[in-house]
Amino acid sequence: MTEKSFVEYERKSLEKMKRYQLPNKFKKIGVGVIIVSLVAFFVNKFSIENIDLRLTTKYGILVGLLLISISKEKVEDELSIALRMQSYTFAFIAGVIITLLTNPLVNYIKNLILDKQQENFEGVDDWQVLWILLSLQVFYFEFLKRMNK
Amino acid sequence: MKNRLKIERAILELTQDELANQIGVSRQTISSIEKNRYVPSTVLSLRLSSIFGKPVNDFFELEESEMLGHNKD
Repeated sequence: MTEKSFVEYERKSLEKMKRYQLPNKFKKIGVGVIIVSLVAFFVNKFSIENIDLRLTTKYGILVGLLLISISKEKVEDELSIALRMQSYTFAFIAGVIITLLTNPLVNYIKNLILDKQQENFEGVDDWQVLWILLSLQVFYFEFLKRMNK
Repeated sequence: MKNRLKIERAILELTQDELANQIGVSRQTISSIEKNRYVPSTVLSLRLSSIFGKPVNDFFELEESEMLGHNKD
């Protein structure tokens, strides 16, 4: 492989990673969506109590987190791509472990304390799984960025 | 991997920000390379090489344990 083709190969693989990302301004839009959804969620919880609105706000939080997760940095370079990949790997592994162990364990202890006679462990719903994965990725990516300053 | 990036940058009297702008990366990336936290790609190494006017081997050097024949994996 010549030096030129090697450079070209690396450049193309970096470009491929950037193809699935949104511009940096979507990060702020994501934060806005989360804030609006959280406010609506608490307003709904303490006054309106509408089931449809509750679902919408919960999924609004996920959409906000996804927007943050797939938005580019101000200067998107190979370091940010490497850190992002590291954070996705961490989120996937930690998310699966948390989903498999922590939640059923917490529910089991809760059942023991409340003295409920349930034979089956309560699992986690799709919203919880997605929330765990996305929030782990977003926070771990920010943590890695700060560690590399 | 050892590197002399900080020294080469000082020779050209460039700040991390200026060097980062010249090769199209963030200041954070330059800082991470200088602190040996991140090993840059070939593309970035060659860009640095053209800025410093020196071959890559002059400012990046493999550690003894990274040499061929020392890989225990």
